[in-house]
Amino acid sequence: METATHMLRTGQRGALFQFQMALRDLRNSFQRIGLAWSLAWHDVTSRYRGSVLGPFWITLSMGLMVLGIGFLYASLFDLPLNQFLPYVALGIVFFGVMTGTVNEGCDTFVLASGMLSQTSLPMLTFLWRTVFRNLINLAHHLVIVVAMLTFYGYWQTANVPLALVGVLLMLLNASWMSLLAAIASARYRDIPQIVVSVMQFAIFMTPVFWMPSRFGKHQVFLDLNPFYHLLQAVRGPMLGQSVQGHSYVVLVAMAVVGWLVTFTIFARTRRRLVHYL
Amino acid sequence: MTAASITCTDLTIRFPVYGADAKSLKKALARAVAVGGALGRHAGVTDVTALEGVNLKLQAGDRLGLIGHNGSGKTTLLRALSGAYEPDDGSIEVHGRIASLLDLSLGIDPSATGYENIRLRCRIGGLSSRDIDARMDEIAEFTGLGPFLSMPVKTYSAGMQGRLAFAAATAVECDVLLMDEWIAVGDADFQKLAHKRLLKLVERAGILVLATHEAPLLKLYCNKVMKLEGGVASEIVDIRKLDQLLKS
Repeated sequence: METATHMLRTGQRGALFQFQMALRDLRNSFQRIGLAWSLAWHDVTSRYRGSVLGPFWITLSMGLMVLGIGFLYASLFDLPLNQFLPYVALGIVFFGVMTGTVNEGCDTFVLASGMLSQTSLPMLTFLWRTVFRNLINLAHHLVIVVAMLTFYGYWQTANVPLALVGVLLMLLNASWMSLLAAIASARYRDIPQIVVSVMQFAIFMTPVFWMPSRFGKHQVFLDLNPFYHLLQAVRGPMLGQSVQGHSYVVLVAMAVVGWLVTFTIFARTRRRLVHYL
Repeated sequence: MTAASITCTDLTIRFPVYGADAKSLKKALARAVAVGGALGRHAGVTDVTALEGVNLKLQAGDRLGLIGHNGSGKTTLLRALSGAYEPDDGSIEVHGRIASLLDLSLGIDPSATGYENIRLRCRIGGLSSRDIDARMDEIAEFTGLGPFLSMPVKTYSAGMQGRLAFAAATAVECDVLLMDEWIAVGDADFQKLAHKRLLKLVERAGILVLATHEAPLLKLYCNKVMKLEGGVASEIVDIRKLDQLLKS
């Protein structure tokens, strides 16, 4: 069901035409961005339907995890709580946005197959639905982050605008990864398992629960880990630390190249996607 | 606003059928290795031609019935007209707002309440939240479900679910209405209501395309009819020649 009053669909007309159609999909998805928001909101409320706390389970379960891991690792590594708890809280919360967006990306088109096969809704609407859903989750988690930073008095040194730039870069990168996962999972049903494994591996290889200084002479592995840069661009400014300039170079380059490649794949497969499902 | 119209020129749609195997990455990789890097080749994928060279021209006031055996391409044509399937050859051009009632359960979440489902369905149909607020009472009244609308849809009987889905799906104004297998919803009372609403919708819609096996239904709603056979379309004829077309 298209609200637009004119629809034209034609057969294959080469790569340029596919690109134009993909761009139109993108434009239409922005024009109806409210629909993606409504669907995301519906997803969140329906997941917690019938529970007493409702969506605040998101906050509560995250809070328990942060406290548990915070106290455990602080004593294991002999770190002061006022340093480690905010560090872990920011790490888990923002890494969670990334893993959530990418992992749930695998279901983006598969779960929307009913709608995609009988309406002309823009396909990217469903990508934004996944992204928005994770942003709503993030909003619930932020309560914990704000509480931690307030409790340990980090607000004087926190550079919030720079952290927001980091969040933006993270979303830009997570969304192309999510789209790539969505397309690949529609075609090959093994992809979700692979994506989950990779993201699980990433959470342990990235300094989420541990300090990067512990890496010692293997520092080069941190620089090669894109997730480290993604996380650091958000966490660093919030904790009043500086972010290395090359992190931003990596993030911007990754966003540009990632989106170019993924969007090309999207343009090439868009017509066929509905048949994959 | 220009009047509603549908134009299909040499519309051909082919389905790639990916066997259960083809969806596995392992199989695809194994094949690539076995034949030496032919991953890009269309190995193991068979194309089924669902529609071939369909030409169609409809204007405001046309109410076209689609007939044909199962698998003759009726639903594919409707899905193509809705914009979900893209043509492999030829083109489709539709002027006017399209509403497709292909599947009544579209966007229905069984664990959500009746009200929430109406909201969701109408959002998918293209209404804004404000439009929905304005029309909610009317839609709710039409369902005749009263206090049940505040209960989860999974507690509904099949007939009640049908009422809800029908009311929500037909709440969206449109110029081109696509319907598949008009399913008899609800009890006799509701069918009368549904019939009335459908006639109104058809009057307002401008163009109706209805796929069905039931001749009485065709005679009731349509003024033109087209037969599909193995993806190939017959000429569009007047509804009075329906019996002739059915026999041929």
